[in-house]
Amino acid sequence: MENKSKAKELKDDFWKSKKLLVTTGKIADDIQEDSSESKGPTLKPSVTDLREWDMKLLERYTPFYAPFCDMCCLCTYGKCDLTGGKKGACGIDIEAQQARFVLLACCIGSAAHSGHARHLLEYLIEKKGENFPIDMGTNIDIEAPIMRVVMGKKPKTLGDLKDALDYLEEQMMHLLSACHTGQEGKSIDFESKALHAGLMDNLGKEIGDLAQIAALNMPKGEDAPLVELGMGTIDKEKPVVLCIGHNVAPGAGIVDYLEDQELEDDVEVCGICCAALDITRYNPGAKVVGPISKQLKFVRSGVADVVVVDEQCVRTDVLEEARKNQACVIATTDKICLGLPDLTDEDADKIVKQLVNDEIEGALILDPDKVGEVATRVALKISKDREALKKLPDLQEIQEMAKECNECGWCVRVCPNNQPMMEAVTSAVEGDFSKFQELYENDVCYTCGRCEQECEVNLPLISMLTKVGEHYTKDEKFNVRAGRGPVQDVEIRKVGAPIVLGDIPGVIAFVGCTNYPEGGEDVAKMAEEFLERNYIVVTSGCGAMSIGEYRDQEGNTLYERYSGDFDAKGLVNVGSCVSNAHIPGACIKIANIFAKKPLEGNFEEIADYILNRVGACGVAWGAYSQKAAAIATGINRWGIPVVVGPHGTKYRRLFLGRTDQPEKWKINDLRVGEVIDGEPAPEHLLYAAENREEATVVIAKLCIRPNDTSKGRQIKLNHYLDLHKKYFGTLPDDVVKFVRTEKDIPITYKKEVLKLLEEVGWEPRALPQEPSLMKFREEKASDKGDSK
Amino acid sequence: MNERVTPWQPTVIAGPKQALLVTPETAEMMIVKAKRPLMVVGPLINDNPAQVLVSKIAEKWNIPIVSTGDAFKSLTEAGVPSKSYGLVEIVNLLKDPEWKGVSGEGNHDLVLFIGVIYYMGSQGLSTLKHFAPHLKTLTLCKFFHSNADASFPNMKDEEWLKYLEKLAKID
Repeated sequence: MENKSKAKELKDDFWKSKKLLVTTGKIADDIQEDSSESKGPTLKPSVTDLREWDMKLLERYTPFYAPFCDMCCLCTYGKCDLTGGKKGACGIDIEAQQARFVLLACCIGSAAHSGHARHLLEYLIEKKGENFPIDMGTNIDIEAPIMRVVMGKKPKTLGDLKDALDYLEEQMMHLLSACHTGQEGKSIDFESKALHAGLMDNLGKEIGDLAQIAALNMPKGEDAPLVELGMGTIDKEKPVVLCIGHNVAPGAGIVDYLEDQELEDDVEVCGICCAALDITRYNPGAKVVGPISKQLKFVRSGVADVVVVDEQCVRTDVLEEARKNQACVIATTDKICLGLPDLTDEDADKIVKQLVNDEIEGALILDPDKVGEVATRVALKISKDREALKKLPDLQEIQEMAKECNECGWCVRVCPNNQPMMEAVTSAVEGDFSKFQELYENDVCYTCGRCEQECEVNLPLISMLTKVGEHYTKDEKFNVRAGRGPVQDVEIRKVGAPIVLGDIPGVIAFVGCTNYPEGGEDVAKMAEEFLERNYIVVTSGCGAMSIGEYRDQEGNTLYERYSGDFDAKGLVNVGSCVSNAHIPGACIKIANIFAKKPLEGNFEEIADYILNRVGACGVAWGAYSQKAAAIATGINRWGIPVVVGPHGTKYRRLFLGRTDQPEKWKINDLRVGEVIDGEPAPEHLLYAAENREEATVVIAKLCIRPNDTSKGRQIKLNHYLDLHKKYFGTLPDDVVKFVRTEKDIPITYKKEVLKLLEEVGWEPRALPQEPSLMKFREEKASDKGDSK
Repeated sequence: MNERVTPWQPTVIAGPKQALLVTPETAEMMIVKAKRPLMVVGPLINDNPAQVLVSKIAEKWNIPIVSTGDAFKSLTEAGVPSKSYGLVEIVNLLKDPEWKGVSGEGNHDLVLFIGVIYYMGSQGLSTLKHFAPHLKTLTLCKFFHSNADASFPNMKDEEWLKYLEKLAKID
């Protein structure tokens, strides 16, 4: 098969195609369709087209279910009790019900990203036109690796992205419909569908990020600047506009308005969650307050004069919370309307007047440019009157409040992490605020507010925590590298071989939300551990911010210590949630640029390559959302393992391998045409660790791949053994499973490992030359013959 | 509501099937009756005064210990032998009736849990409740676990340590 996606060739095609589009866009499409003979078997895969691949994964990584609920409450037959092997009124059993829930979560998560992408795309097309080119610069030819594989097409303009969204939306409708009572009946097929929803999530994110990078001129994989991060970076003396959510459009509208009016120095624009990261990709002058865990803290602090919310991960009580300190709320998308009047078509002067005079609680404005004007003008007008609300509290006040505590202890019991809130309160009674401070720092308390809901004497516990925290950390400032978007093709050319051969021990991606068991510092410490060990560390979203909130003993953040290059010891912030698409994207590019695997319609071959050769591992330590479920499931379908934190077990399903079943690890060596004994590499596809120590060791192990050369295996095992010794005190028993020949043994541990090998009667085995789960070429050819 | 048998994190209540509240005496009867018990010890036991009692309980009935999280290091340093597994790994093995158990003699028929992060332990217990009818689960934490077959109640440290001491006591 001819490789149509070789980077070098594409470079030529790219410019040729561009010319065609300017004059005869339709012909360009026709030419692509004509070249379909060179494309793989799964162009625009339907819900069942990749089922065979899914079954290969699910056979090895069997779904592990941990039911969150014993019943099904979905239809009016129920509730149905599914304990003890009982089936529900519709015939569903507990396994299928868990899997259905996983599919539902993946559909919700995928729809959130793709809905976001649809909003962005329509807005940007309206602003720039359908023919606005997708130009990723001279260092990127494979601009949309996921889309190339799934759609078999390279997008040249914003308009081209609509085709992919149309396809995706059709798939999502079928997937969601499978959740209806009386449709799918087997857990394994729910899982295949969940994997498809995950793939659609990957595609939707790529569309969204590509559109905003191209149309808003965000960084195109080049080194991005450090931007300010932290509550202490916000100048409270100025009017403050806070953006919460994920859609950059309203934030960009605010930044544009400030520039047009030359007000950049007069108003603080800041953000929480991914909207913050994307605004800084648009304009590095904006500030990042922090990850989602800062949301209630910062809104309660009263610092924001205007709170602009767009979509995803916004507290649903944001209006109520903002109104407590007389901040104005502007809702900006159809996802979050908050019961506010739709003033999109209203005159800006009138909206400003109504908000300033408190005639309305807030406004729904679905025009990002108008949001920019209204938010800025309102902040400028009300900021002065709100000064008193921004002042630091008298700690005596907190002490007095704390005396009301009756020590019932329920604040601790309902805390997702059972953090010692009651102890913080009882210590404050004595004038000791250190316990509050410990909860405040590193987001050990991520301010979900469940403690307040339960408090028998109605103490405003989060406000107390916020005020104590602010008192001690008012000047706390950090930084984060602005999201750089995709990994460049030139970088892949440099690191492709060392990653596949194992010389670079792995690519580890810290992504996801802040549902951490013990605060955000765990993520930074894991990132630091792997950076010091020569891994490539990639990050995005709230994970990227948590990493930025950690300083070493010399006072430097990891972004200050490590470059943003996609290379050993590089710390790459790709950007927001939608930028996560660039992480599997980089793995796909390795398969294409380094191994010359064709992309178009060739999902299985690419995923098989990644599973067996690319030592990548995702880590979603604080995953909480349905989006995170979709992200992880999508990543899994490409053959990339993911480690989640302990809360991740609440997703109800993991994909676990069994090392005691050697038959599950047999692989096809396509080069020699033989089935050979393999090894548990990667051992699991979706794994939940109990604490940072366990996770760190597991992550190192999950970077091992059958394709490692002996030198690469030595390097990877060296890190695995080192880390196991550090956190567990000994060498791991299972090291014997990963030693194929004596050359695989790290020199430092040679003696000890040889002893372990001797104890189990180890025999050397051959290194695979082309490890794969795919059929042998002859089998494939015979299948084709049969079908004819 | 009896606070001793409301799950420590109250929202883990999963449905109609709830754990049986047990005293050290009942727990002892369950252990005596078991042919191949196993004890799963999580990292909350690290640096905890309960660790020595855990060791004594295991020794008294010759129960093999599986350590989860990074509990292996702490137990080894305290001279307590254990086999290290991830919590989800050991639960995954336990739910397979064909698994040979940590000693290779067959799967276990009673699994005692202690020191695992509460909500994660609750999820693991839920897996075993639904998919491992061949074994019983008993939690020795100071928290009531509704997803177990049998559980100690919610207790303060002092009472909990007394419970463990009773269980560890050589008659």
